[in-house]
Amino acid sequence: MRGLLGLLVALVATAVTAALFMNIVGQAGVAQPWGNELDDNFIFVRALPAILATGVAYGLIGGWLYPRGAAARRGDGAVRRFSPATVLLHLLITIGFVIALPTGLWQYMGGILDVQGPLPVFMYYRIHYIGAAIILASVAAFVTYWWMTGDRSLVVAPREWPRYLRGLATEVHPMVRRWMVRLLRIDTAQSAGSSGTFTFYEKTFMFPGWAVAITLITVTGLLKLLRYAIPIPGTVVFVVSTLHVTAMVMLILLTLDHLRYYFARWPLVVAIFTGWLPPRRTAPRTAPSGAPAATGGDE
Amino acid sequence: MKRLAAVLGLVWCVANLVVAYWMLTGGILAKTAQHEGIVAQASLLLGGLLVAIFAGLLARQCLRMFAAPDEASGA
Repeated sequence: MRGLLGLLVALVATAVTAALFMNIVGQAGVAQPWGNELDDNFIFVRALPAILATGVAYGLIGGWLYPRGAAARRGDGAVRRFSPATVLLHLLITIGFVIALPTGLWQYMGGILDVQGPLPVFMYYRIHYIGAAIILASVAAFVTYWWMTGDRSLVVAPREWPRYLRGLATEVHPMVRRWMVRLLRIDTAQSAGSSGTFTFYEKTFMFPGWAVAITLITVTGLLKLLRYAIPIPGTVVFVVSTLHVTAMVMLILLTLDHLRYYFARWPLVVAIFTGWLPPRRTAPRTAPSGAPAATGGDE
Repeated sequence: MKRLAAVLGLVWCVANLVVAYWMLTGGILAKTAQHEGIVAQASLLLGGLLVAIFAGLLARQCLRMFAAPDEASGA
């Protein structure tokens, strides 16, 4: 019953946002004689509060439906690794990236290579904005959801970093390990202990990497967009645009690394789609080619 | 399912290798040097190189997973 009510509220929030958006589109079509590209910029900047509010609503619904609980275990031995809210939000943000990343890349590379793609330029921006809107809503939802549940299972406490770096050194390729040990002066003689629900790699590299890249692309994207609403100096726009492209390249690299890492650990792929980490059928894989046993949790 | 994922992963790798090629060639174009400057050129070359390396690592994993789905995917 709660699930149905949550779904209903989410659908209503989405429908209200869509209606607001269509209203903004309707106004833009008749009020100003701008071109398609500039029109889309204004539509997006005006729709921004509604997009973020929808994300917050999703997060609140997720937090209400799936508050953080004790680690759950199924009869067949599967352990809950992600809550249904996390699974859905991960899917949503993935869709956003699949739309926004290639179109954003083409906006940049098309300019560098001086090549006109198969679509008119404004269409790339329009599709990019749709993807960006989905990402913004997802980010707002994730932040709200984590705030509501108080979940910090992917965050490393500052005093724990030395131990986590030791753990990370045991999980990476020997060549990278040697480089890490020398550069960060890691004492490999000491035990790293347990990484908890997530692997050392996920907690020290993957999550912080995604958090930095997503924050950077979101903040710079918003600033780029806000120049249509408030005056922003040209130098700031130039720096922000450069950082936006940097974040884009970071996200391309992180996506490739994300796929490489999880394809080598298929049960974790199953977990992000179902929420459950399947019971182990073979002996646990250890470093450096695989992560240590990933235990369950309720993230 | 693992083989399908491996094929999709390889498609993703090919797309990223094309991107890496664009970045690397874009980095040495005279037009980039004139319009964007040395920093942008260096960024494109570094970015292209990293994308190529990461795409190569993923391609290797996908090929392993395609050849031996259970052994290469930790299942």
